[in-house]
Amino acid sequence: MEKSSSRMIEITVISGEDLRVNRRQLVKKNAFVIVQTGSSRTTKMDKDGGSYPIWNEKLVMELPMHARFINVEVQCKALSGGNKLIGTARIPVSDFSGGHLPENYLNFLSYRLRDRNGERNGIINLSVKVIGPENKSRVASCPRPRTEVPVDNKVSGGIVVGIPVPYSY
Amino acid sequence: MGNCFSDLEGGKQAVGGGSHQRPQNVRSDAGHNDAVDHFFRTKGLHALFTKMELSLSASKLRDLDVLSKSDPMVVSYQKKRDGSLEELGRTEVIMNNLDPVWIQKINVTYQFEIVQPLIFRIYDVDTKYHNLPLKMLKLNDQEFLGEASCYLSEIVTRQNQSLTLNLHHRDGRSSKNLGTLTVHAEETVASRDAVEMAFRCSHLENKDLFSKSDPFLRISRTVESGGSIPICKTEVVNNNLSPVWKPVCLTMQQYGSKENPLVIECFDFNSDGNHVFIGKLHKSVAELITLHQNKTGANFISPPSGFRRHEKLLKGQLFVDGLIEKQLYSFLDYISSGFELNFMVAVDFTASNGNPRSPDSLHYINPSGQLNAYQQAIMEVGEVIQFYDSDKRFPAWGFGGRSYEGSVSHCFNLNGSPIGFEVEGVEGIMSAYASALQNVTLAGPTLFGQVINKAADIAGHSISDSHAKYYVLLIITDGVLTDLQETIDSLVRASDLPLSILIVGVGGADFTQMEILDADTGRRLESSTGRIATRDIVQFVPMREVHGGQISVVQALLEELPGQFLTYVRSRDIVPLNVGQSHSEAHTQQRV
Repeated sequence: MEKSSSRMIEITVISGEDLRVNRRQLVKKNAFVIVQTGSSRTTKMDKDGGSYPIWNEKLVMELPMHARFINVEVQCKALSGGNKLIGTARIPVSDFSGGHLPENYLNFLSYRLRDRNGERNGIINLSVKVIGPENKSRVASCPRPRTEVPVDNKVSGGIVVGIPVPYSY
Repeated sequence: MGNCFSDLEGGKQAVGGGSHQRPQNVRSDAGHNDAVDHFFRTKGLHALFTKMELSLSASKLRDLDVLSKSDPMVVSYQKKRDGSLEELGRTEVIMNNLDPVWIQKINVTYQFEIVQPLIFRIYDVDTKYHNLPLKMLKLNDQEFLGEASCYLSEIVTRQNQSLTLNLHHRDGRSSKNLGTLTVHAEETVASRDAVEMAFRCSHLENKDLFSKSDPFLRISRTVESGGSIPICKTEVVNNNLSPVWKPVCLTMQQYGSKENPLVIECFDFNSDGNHVFIGKLHKSVAELITLHQNKTGANFISPPSGFRRHEKLLKGQLFVDGLIEKQLYSFLDYISSGFELNFMVAVDFTASNGNPRSPDSLHYINPSGQLNAYQQAIMEVGEVIQFYDSDKRFPAWGFGGRSYEGSVSHCFNLNGSPIGFEVEGVEGIMSAYASALQNVTLAGPTLFGQVINKAADIAGHSISDSHAKYYVLLIITDGVLTDLQETIDSLVRASDLPLSILIVGVGGADFTQMEILDADTGRRLESSTGRIATRDIVQFVPMREVHGGQISVVQALLEELPGQFLTYVRSRDIVPLNVGQSHSEAHTQQRV
């Protein structure tokens, strides 16, 4: 893919609220999130969070230029072994990009999740920042560019080697 | 057995160290679990109560002593709402000095939501009173040197938090010969330092017979008397002998100093409350930093028991996987470094207010000068907020009125100008409001959406310029909304911008819809597309509830504003403007 056809975004999946397996049964554990932009990334499971899981996981993803939505799915691992869909949220790209906001603005966003039948099911909290129109290999090699190179302590602390020059009085 | 499969969630929560409460059975109506709140609480950022210290100095005082120079002393007062003076404190007497620098500080409590007038009076203390304690001095027996007054918020908004005032006579007559008084204000926080640490253990001893341990950590601070005070507890990790806990955040107020020994104990959680001791160790914060840098572990020890006379070194180890040192900046840190609060006003011009020429109209301009409800709200909020805006040019709009052309506008400029919407000062808002009443016919219906979008546009554009402005929109209305869902949609979009919205309800209408917008008492706002408000930016107060009480409208509206401001700036790692670039870069380095 060419550079101009996509850009990188940084999505931090923060937490979920009031997640339910069905109307009466709360999610007990092992909730995780799948984020789809064109490609797909999955967070770790929150083994202890129950219906209020916290992931605080940062994903760097490629967003096609023509994309208008990001899909976010919350699932949990069922006792029977498979994965159960808890809810889905559709995030318009215009919510964090375009308009008068600066391109690298850190957006904190929350969305209502809808289950498979379209019923309301909890809230997903995340933050999104557009990193910029860079190609994937550059971002992958250096996800957080450094502003300066740290000084090597060994060099600055070393003894300067000099050649003694004899005095001529 | 370690524990049963019953409801033990409460006992397993982390406490202290900035841990968050995650209510298991609370529905989303609770409204206190917004995204940013989670973000904060996990990072230990709680607002501190703001106490301030005033340092005083003077120059070129009058010389009243014949044989020697004056011996000056300052008495500080705060003027109450009823006009009476409350003494805040007195400085010491400095002998024979016309340019004194007093050592004694004056303590004052900073309250953002009210205007705090301060009065300083300087006296020449006669020589024969020099041996008396300060409190026993009778001020009537001393020579009056001069008086100065100012507002506390005038001092804290200065770059160096210092203000120089000309001294004047008691009756207010100004004279250059009386000299000047300089007031310097500083926040009295012990320290802003905090440390966020992520702990991990390995090879813990198993205390459960048929399953693994359910470990948690408790961190205590040692005190001089030899005991220890718990300051933090992690959450419980089930069935795990190599647990990884969520980060805890400790402030210096909690752990004392970096060299102060902390006691870190590991327990196996038991539902009956008798948690089984696994091991403990003694480490200071400085030593934990060393462990983190060297990526080494520290072994737990078991104290001497009846069967062993000496300590036993256990196999279990504690590691510090993550460690971030950071500064917790307060509201005043931002304000004194140059951040501003920009005030905006939107006034309801719908017909339900009544004809402005009628005395029973909510917009009636009383010839005697008594303010109507709209004017009161503008004055009370504006006179507080104006100190935090350097240029004091305020956008002012009206909504629901019909102009001369005949069309109803739901966001028109209060000054009547087709281009600029800014007016000069609070008085400018008042005069623009009075003249708008002459030129605009009251119409309807009541719509908030457009003025909120206008304010959000201004706040959004300011982000591109700089991060040093935060906007406060005051909406004064008498009636119910026609565009409730559009208003909610606008509020949800604006909730991620540097903007807060204050709504004052005037008159006797039903304000149920306003309570919905104010998320203090309602659920998180949800837009028609399913987006949820990032944070609560709306405050609503009906005017009638506070008329009889001592607390004014302004206090109820404005006391949450510093918290909303801090919520916004902290979530984006925005630091005060005077924090050095190297500090920011060092901060970034540690996070990599």
